Amino acid sequence: MNLELNEEQALLRDSVARFVGEHYSLEQRRSIVRSERGHSAEHWQMMAELGWLAVPFAERDGGMGGSAIDTMVMMEQFGKGLVLEPFFTSIVLGGAALRHGASDNIKQRLLSGVIDGTRQLAFAHAERSARFDLQHVATRACPDGAGFVLHGLKSFVLNLEAADTIVVSARTGGAITDRDGITLFLLERDCPGVSIQSYPTVDGGRAGDLSLHGVHLARSSVLGEVDAGCGIVNAVASEAMLALAAEAVGAMQVLYQDTVQYTQQRIQFGHPLANFQVLQHRMVDMFTEYELARSLLYRATLESAQSLPSAQRSIHALKYLVGRAGMFVAESAVQLHGGMGMTEELRVGHYLKRMLVIDLLFGNAEHHLQKFSE
Amino acid sequence: MDIELSAADLQFQQEVRTFLEEQALQPGMNPAQWSARWFAAATAKGGWDVPRWPKEFGGPGWTAAQHYVWDQETAKHTLPFDSPFGVVMLAPILMAYGSVEQQQRFLPAIRARSVQWCQGYSEPGAGSDLAALKTRAVLSADATHYLLNGTKIWTSAAHLADWMFCLTRTSEAARRQQGITFLLLPMRQPGIDVQPIITLGGRHHVNMVHLSNVTVPVENRVGKEGEGWTYAKGLLQHERIGIANISRSRAALAALKQSASAALEEHSFRMRLAAIEVDLMALEFTELRSLAAMSSGMSVGPESSILKLKGTEVQQRIQKLAMEAAGLQGAAWGPTSGSLMGGAATARETVESYLTGRAATIFGGASEVQRDVIWKNVIRQRS
Repeated sequence: MNLELNEEQALLRDSVARFVGEHYSLEQRRSIVRSERGHSAEHWQMMAELGWLAVPFAERDGGMGGSAIDTMVMMEQFGKGLVLEPFFTSIVLGGAALRHGASDNIKQRLLSGVIDGTRQLAFAHAERSARFDLQHVATRACPDGAGFVLHGLKSFVLNLEAADTIVVSARTGGAITDRDGITLFLLERDCPGVSIQSYPTVDGGRAGDLSLHGVHLARSSVLGEVDAGCGIVNAVASEAMLALAAEAVGAMQVLYQDTVQYTQQRIQFGHPLANFQVLQHRMVDMFTEYELARSLLYRATLESAQSLPSAQRSIHALKYLVGRAGMFVAESAVQLHGGMGMTEELRVGHYLKRMLVIDLLFGNAEHHLQKFSE
Repeated sequence: MDIELSAADLQFQQEVRTFLEEQALQPGMNPAQWSARWFAAATAKGGWDVPRWPKEFGGPGWTAAQHYVWDQETAKHTLPFDSPFGVVMLAPILMAYGSVEQQQRFLPAIRARSVQWCQGYSEPGAGSDLAALKTRAVLSADATHYLLNGTKIWTSAAHLADWMFCLTRTSEAARRQQGITFLLLPMRQPGIDVQPIITLGGRHHVNMVHLSNVTVPVENRVGKEGEGWTYAKGLLQHERIGIANISRSRAALAALKQSASAALEEHSFRMRLAAIEVDLMALEFTELRSLAAMSSGMSVGPESSILKLKGTEVQQRIQKLAMEAAGLQGAAWGPTSGSLMGGAATARETVESYLTGRAATIFGGASEVQRDVIWKNVIRQRS
C-alpha cells in the first residue's frame, strides 16, 4: 500500500500543471471558447506530442500503458484550468470504448490516429428520454444484408462536430431498457444518412445531436459482440465517472482557494471579509467537502486500478459525493464572491457551470446515491 | 499509488482475523475477565494492546497498511471498553515531553490499564476558550512542590480515575497560553472533591472536580513550567487520528442496517443511510491518507484536521437514524439489556446513545472551535 504518486506520475502531474498554468488563464480560455471548434488545434497537437493522448492505451497498441491513476492525475490538472480540448471525449470515452470493445484490426486502423491527435472520437450513447439510465437505448440497428441499418437520435454527444469517428450505441434486440440487445458501432461522420446538429453547452463546451436516418454500416464496424454492448458502455461509464471526479476535485481546489483569497482581499465594514467567522466556517465546510471528495476519489480510483470487486460501489459513492460536494463548493464560492461571483469576469462562475455539467454527465448525485443503496 | 495489500499485509490480516475471533466476547462471559484476557492476549502479540504507540515504547510499529487492516477488522467485532485518557491522550505527551523517569514510572501502568487517568482541562470559565483557565499552581519557596487551587469541570471518569493530567496556571503572562503548566496528580488525596454531573442520557460520566490546596511534587511536572499549552496542543493532530471513531461508526452502521428492517422499507431512510455510508467511506480513506503521511515520516497532512469534525457528525447522524428506526419505542425510557454492546441495542440504549452522543460535537474542541482551528491552522496558513 502506498498513497504517493510515483516519479512518472509526479512528472506527468507537473507537466500538465505547467500546461494549464501557461495556456489557461481565463482570458486565454475565453478566446478558445469563442473559436470555431471550441478547442485549440494547437493545444491538441501539443498534448499529442507530449504523449498525453497515449497514456491510457496499452503499449502494444502504441500507448503508454497507463492506469486509472495516470488518468486521474491528468484530469485533476485539467479540472484546475477548465481545459476545453477533448481529452475526456476522445481519449477517456472514445478511447475506453475502443480499449474494451475493439478487435485488433480496428485498433490497428484507428488508434495511431487517436494517439497522434489526427483522429478525434466521440461517444454517442445518451438519448433524450433516457435520463440517466445507461440501458435505455431506443435507436435501432436492423440486420440488412451483411451489415446493419441504423435509425434513431442520439443526444448530447460531446465534441460531435469535431469528431472524425463516432462510437454509437443502438439496439439490435430486446426492449428499450433491456441490458441485452445493445450493440456498439463505429461510425465515420461523413457516412450517408448521418446528420449533426451542434450546440454549445452551458460550460463553454460543445455537444450535438446525432440523427441517424437509414445509416448502413458493415458488420466490421461492430465494436465487441452484437447484443453485448452494455458491458462496454458500463466500462466506459465507470472510467468516465472516475475521470470526471478527478476533474471536479481539481476544480474544487481552485474554487475554495480562490474564495479564500478573495475574502482576504475584499474589504467591507472596515475589515477583510475573511475576518468574519460566518464566512470562515463556510470556507471550512468547502474545504472539508473538497477533502472528502479527494479521499473517495483516491479510494475508487485505486480500487479500480486494482480491479477490486468493491470498485463499482465506490464509483457510485464517488459520483454522488462529487456531485454533492462540487455543487456545494461551487455555489458557496459564487455566494462568497458576492455580486462579483455573478459576473463572467471572475472565474468562479465558470467553474460552477462546469460543475453543473459534471454532475449531470453519466448520472447525477441523486441517481448514484440510489444506485449505491441498491 | 496503490492499495494493494502485500503478501505480508494479507498474512497480517489473517493473523488479525484469527486473533479477533479467538478473543471474541462469548455469551455468558464475565466482561471484566474477558477484557483483561483480551488485553493480555493483545500484549502477547507484540504491542497490539497499544496499536498507535511507536515501536521504541513497545508499540507494534505498524505500517499505514497494517493500521488500515486493523481498523477494518476491529470494526467487525466488539472490543473491550478502553478509556482513551491514558493510552491515547497522555501517553504520547509523556513520550514526547516527559522525562525518562516519568516515562518509566507511568507508561507501564497506562499500558496495563491498571491505572486509570482523567483529563483536567476544562473549567467553569474555560470551555471552548481553554486558555482562559484559572486553576492556580503556586511553586513552594523551596521549589519542591506546587499548591493547586481551582475547579475542573466536565471531567470524564474523574470518579473512577486514579490520576489526573491537568493544565494549571503558573503565571499571568501577557499571552495567556504562556503561563500554563502540565501537572500529574493522584486523585485520591486530601483537597480533591469530585462531584457527579448527570448528563442527558441519565448517566454519570462527567464530574466537577474541586482542587483545594492540593500539593503536587515538582517531579510530577511534565516538561518546563509555562510550556503546558504547547504540550497539550502539540499532539492534537496525532490525536485527531483515531478520535473520529470511524471504525466504531462503521460497526454502528452495520448494526443499524441489521436492525432497521422496517425503516429500510422507506426510500428516504435508505437514502440517508447511504449518504452516511458514503461519508464514512471517504472518512476512512482520509484517515488512511493521514496514517500514510505519518508512517512515511511526513507531517500529518491538512486532511487530518477534518477527521474529528466530520467523524463526530457521522456518529450523530447514525444515532439519529437509529432513533428514527426505533420509531415510537425510542420515546420509552424502558429497561436496558445490561449486556455489553453485544447483540441488538434496546430502544432505551438507542435513545441513551443518541442523548449521550450529543456530547461528541462538544468535547475535545466543539465543532465550531474545530472550524476556527481549521480556518486558522490549515486554510489561512496555506493561502
